[in-house]
Amino acid sequence: MPREQIEALQVRKLKNLLAWTQESVPWQAKRLKAAGVSADSIKSLKDLRRIPMLTRDEWMQAQLERPPYGPLLAAPEEAAIRYHLTSGTTGRIPLQVLDSMKDWEWIAEMWCYGFWGFGVRPRDIVFFAFSYGTFVGFWGAHYASEKIGCLVLPGGNMTTEARVKQILSMKATVVCSTPTYALRMAQEARTMGVDLANSSVQRLILSGEPAGSIPATKRLIESEWGAKAADTAGMTEVGTIMIFECEKQPGGTHIIEDHYIEEVVDPESGEPVPYGEQGERLITSFGRGFIPVLRYRTRDLVVRVPASNCSCGRKFDIYEGGIRGRVDDMKLVRGTNVYPRAVEAIVREYKEIDEFRIHLYTADGRQDEIEVLVEITPAQDKQTERILHELRKALSQAHEGLRIGVKQVEAGSLPRFELKAKRLQDDRIVIGTVSERRTTA
Amino acid sequence: MKNAMGVELSESERSLVECYRTLVRILKESDDLAPFERRNALKAVAALWQVANGLDLDPGQIYDIGA
Repeated sequence: MPREQIEALQVRKLKNLLAWTQESVPWQAKRLKAAGVSADSIKSLKDLRRIPMLTRDEWMQAQLERPPYGPLLAAPEEAAIRYHLTSGTTGRIPLQVLDSMKDWEWIAEMWCYGFWGFGVRPRDIVFFAFSYGTFVGFWGAHYASEKIGCLVLPGGNMTTEARVKQILSMKATVVCSTPTYALRMAQEARTMGVDLANSSVQRLILSGEPAGSIPATKRLIESEWGAKAADTAGMTEVGTIMIFECEKQPGGTHIIEDHYIEEVVDPESGEPVPYGEQGERLITSFGRGFIPVLRYRTRDLVVRVPASNCSCGRKFDIYEGGIRGRVDDMKLVRGTNVYPRAVEAIVREYKEIDEFRIHLYTADGRQDEIEVLVEITPAQDKQTERILHELRKALSQAHEGLRIGVKQVEAGSLPRFELKAKRLQDDRIVIGTVSERRTTA
Repeated sequence: MKNAMGVELSESERSLVECYRTLVRILKESDDLAPFERRNALKAVAALWQVANGLDLDPGQIYDIGA
């Protein structure tokens, strides 16, 4: 579909979404009316900017005022068949959402874009390293695999060892997990004396963390598994993924533009930024009618580039490097900006490092310090001094000469994660302004 | 039959869309369906909505029939 057709379709869908929202969600209708927006007044995508942005704080506040869902539902609760929650890593309270039968099918359909686009076919055997709880995670992906006709292996409630064993015994060809957990399974396999690179797994579908698009992390995962890895990203607020990496692996993720409008704006001013510049993504979703989402501020940082940057032929634009971090992720350490994702990109260049943690603390009651704690594969102990030295140097060079300590910690002493790894621990004493310092990761 | 973008649908596509519309009509108008008939028709309509939507036919919302 050519660009102009995609945009014409988006305008049409936007008008329908606005009409539905005005008719069925009085809380949203009031906001739209106050902004002077109606379905009829939308003539082109430029009119999108007249729609007020919705923040997570507003959503949370609305939930608190009218629990449990807030005044955001467009259909009666009885029409729902699914209940899910956000993982709550960035907010005070989780957002609670409902889906109907049709919405739930759509959620799986969006995952089908990602799976099919990365080459998953009915003959595949798909293993889910996922805990199947109220966090929406890979739920939609599970149903997408069934829809495609794959054999699904639901690997919930299993130890890492049991998961590795089942992947091998069932000859899984596709594995779905977070990037962190893909590495954890590879580590476990090594301990078990299993060479995953020679297993039947051909593809890994990653989600839940930005690391799926960090080149060094991805290279490491692909080399450990001897398989191709694709990044995807979704959010509970829309119920499913909105971006996926295709089989051509263009170094980024395609935006599913026939089901969403994604805008990239300056996080401070809210003004749009051009192709190639980093900004915050806003999402408008045409899929889940139960909770219409219009211009939601995601706080995700992205760089949008044209679809032509990929050779697959899709006309959907790309987020180069996937989701690059969060607007609120940045830490200021002695005047230097530190992004956890940038640190991870460097740490993952060292295959000998199994796990790591970024630790911020206050020295002598006044000075910010940063150190990176690393676990080194026991077999590589002889290389420890070299690795620590090189890593210290590389981290400092990438952060304007900032002194960053690097320390080895005992193997297995750092926490492992199945979902949304939290590798930053900020123990600094808050003596600066709130905008300079955050006390929690 | 053309979609919202003015593209002509193929015969197979038209048939699927007709299936979808028929199911919606039955689920709206009929009160003589047995529970097993209604629940399976609802599952089918939820899936066929994706076809109509994917073909850019503005299938609307169908919460009123339970999907």
